[in-house]
Amino acid sequence: MKKFNLSNFKEWFISHDLFGLLGSDRYKSLKRRIVILEVALSILPLLIVVTISYFWFQQILKDDYRNQLKWDIENTGQSIETFLNERLSFLRFLTLSYKYDELSDYKKLSNVFYAFKREFPGIVDIGIIDDNGIQIAYAGPYKLTGVDYSNQNWFNEVVIRSSNISDVYMGYRKIPHFSIAVKKDLPEKEGFWIIRATIDMETLKKYVYALNIGEKDDSFIINKDGILQTDTRFHGKALNKYIETPIPSNEQTLVKECDIKVHGHQICGYSPIKNTDWFLITVIRSTPYARIPGIFRNELFFIIIFSILLNTFITTVIAQAIVNKIKQTDMEREEAIASCEHAGKMASIGRLASGVAHEINNPLAIINEKAGLMKDILESSDDLQKNKYKFLSLLNGIFDSITRARTITHRLLGFSRRMDLSHDLFDLNEAIKEVVSFIDKEIQFRNINLVLNLSPELPRIETDKGQLQQVILNIINNAIDAVEEDGRIEVITEMRDNNKIRIIISDNGIGIPKDKIKHIFEPFYTTKEKGKGTGLGLSISYGIIQKLGGNISVESEVGKGTTFSIDMPLKYEAI
Amino acid sequence: MKTGEIKLLIVDDEVAFANTLTQRLKIRNIEATPVYDGEQALSKLKESVFDVVLLDLKMPGMHGLDVLRQIKKIYPEIQVIILTAHGTDKDEEEARLFGSFDFLKKPADIDNLEQKIRKAYREKKNIERINGE
Repeated sequence: MKKFNLSNFKEWFISHDLFGLLGSDRYKSLKRRIVILEVALSILPLLIVVTISYFWFQQILKDDYRNQLKWDIENTGQSIETFLNERLSFLRFLTLSYKYDELSDYKKLSNVFYAFKREFPGIVDIGIIDDNGIQIAYAGPYKLTGVDYSNQNWFNEVVIRSSNISDVYMGYRKIPHFSIAVKKDLPEKEGFWIIRATIDMETLKKYVYALNIGEKDDSFIINKDGILQTDTRFHGKALNKYIETPIPSNEQTLVKECDIKVHGHQICGYSPIKNTDWFLITVIRSTPYARIPGIFRNELFFIIIFSILLNTFITTVIAQAIVNKIKQTDMEREEAIASCEHAGKMASIGRLASGVAHEINNPLAIINEKAGLMKDILESSDDLQKNKYKFLSLLNGIFDSITRARTITHRLLGFSRRMDLSHDLFDLNEAIKEVVSFIDKEIQFRNINLVLNLSPELPRIETDKGQLQQVILNIINNAIDAVEEDGRIEVITEMRDNNKIRIIISDNGIGIPKDKIKHIFEPFYTTKEKGKGTGLGLSISYGIIQKLGGNISVESEVGKGTTFSIDMPLKYEAI
Repeated sequence: MKTGEIKLLIVDDEVAFANTLTQRLKIRNIEATPVYDGEQALSKLKESVFDVVLLDLKMPGMHGLDVLRQIKKIYPEIQVIILTAHGTDKDEEEARLFGSFDFLKKPADIDNLEQKIRKAYREKKNIERINGE
């Protein structure tokens, strides 16, 4: 009986690689895969939550900033409004407190001017204009008495609306300033007079700049035609056209996202200033709201890194435990295979022993009887000469039986030679006949019709004879189990593709169901009754044929029979 | 005991064994006849009267146990001794179940075999006597 070692099974498993788990590299790779998968699975939701909350938090901060900005602009707008209203009110107060004649007097006007300037900084000068637009009195740093304003816009406006706050202009003074004027009707006769003060734009600037904004940001005033009323940081000097964003038409303070070609994405705030044609505008390019998420981001980053490290550590420990468990299970499985292999070997030995006992006991029985007869004759007669030929005949019978027994023991030795592969050059047909002769008795006994259809033109094959015989014996044994009495088993050999020999072993037995046929080469799979098959025979055969560089396949139909085909290379080459 | 009083039928496919054993038993005053398979045995039993049958188990054609069953069915008084080279415990159990007188394994000691045959013969005679009464 041929012995099998564990490597046969290892090869079988490695060649099938059912779980991708074999070999120490595979365990490492498995561990790595578990760790990566586990870490990815646990970190991914964390990353998603963190990313969502990061953007959510940023949006909240942005909204908050915009609300704050809107409030600031509105406040600043109101401050400017108050500034202007105070001055208008004062002019109105003057028209009520003084008569036209009084203020037409330069001295009186000068007194009023200095008082006014003291109370309200930013006043440049003050003048009284008659209904023809001629400035009849003037107090201030320039000599503007007698100047005719009748053609100027502000004059026409003040005539129609009683008061006016003008746009910024350079005027005679060549510095940006604007004027406020109030009309007063003369009581006695038809006509009116106007009191007008000019205010330096610098005074308003400090209100505009009082907005708490960053270095990249800008705030300024424009009029309804888009003309800049104050100098700006990035949008040009006063009295230039402001072109970048359209001016909103509504009268509400508004803060919105605005895309400007030159500067990109920004936040723009608009606030109309009541009683004027002005808008206070703020353009925010810096992103102060992003600074806080920056801090938040760093903290999150550390949390994530810490989580990944902790997770990796824990997962590695767990993965190691899992892999160790698998390793142990694999080892136990291999031990189980080895143990079953031993059991299978024992079963085969038992089966063989019973056959061998019969084959050897029969010649022994003949020897026993022939020798016994010789003794009987010797005991009953002293005439050796008379019995000479009888004795010779009996001795020949004894020698024949000895030869018969010797043939059997020698064949047994042939089956138990060695475990490693050998390279025998032999006639495959003869090898098959040897195998068949060994189970001839069983075949005769069960009236099985074994047909050998062996091609006479086969070249000699170089492979491990003993192992190949083991496979053939195994498959024929299975066929014997599969056929009923009077069944038929056929063994065919033929040449394939000039470099292969095909061995076909077919029977007309019970066949193998389709759902079972795919398992038959797996170890421990058996369709035989409990206790009859080890489930190892075909897996051992599969392992041997693979090792010998051949190929084994099976076809079967329930009720019709099974055919095994073995393709063997003519010359064994290590795989 | 007279020569040839015991009529024995040897059934064994090993021709040399059956023939040699026949000669040896004749020396011991047992009239043995060899046949070489189950069918021959049954037809021989039809032809002449036998007291004891020495039966092999593993033979081409009819198995020894089947032959035993047939014999015990047709000639229940004939005693059958199994003598086989392939004697497992299971075979012995079945043989005894089917009514074999004894179960011996090859190669068998001639004196022991002779004793068993004589014992079987006496058993047959006893049965005949009881049946006759």
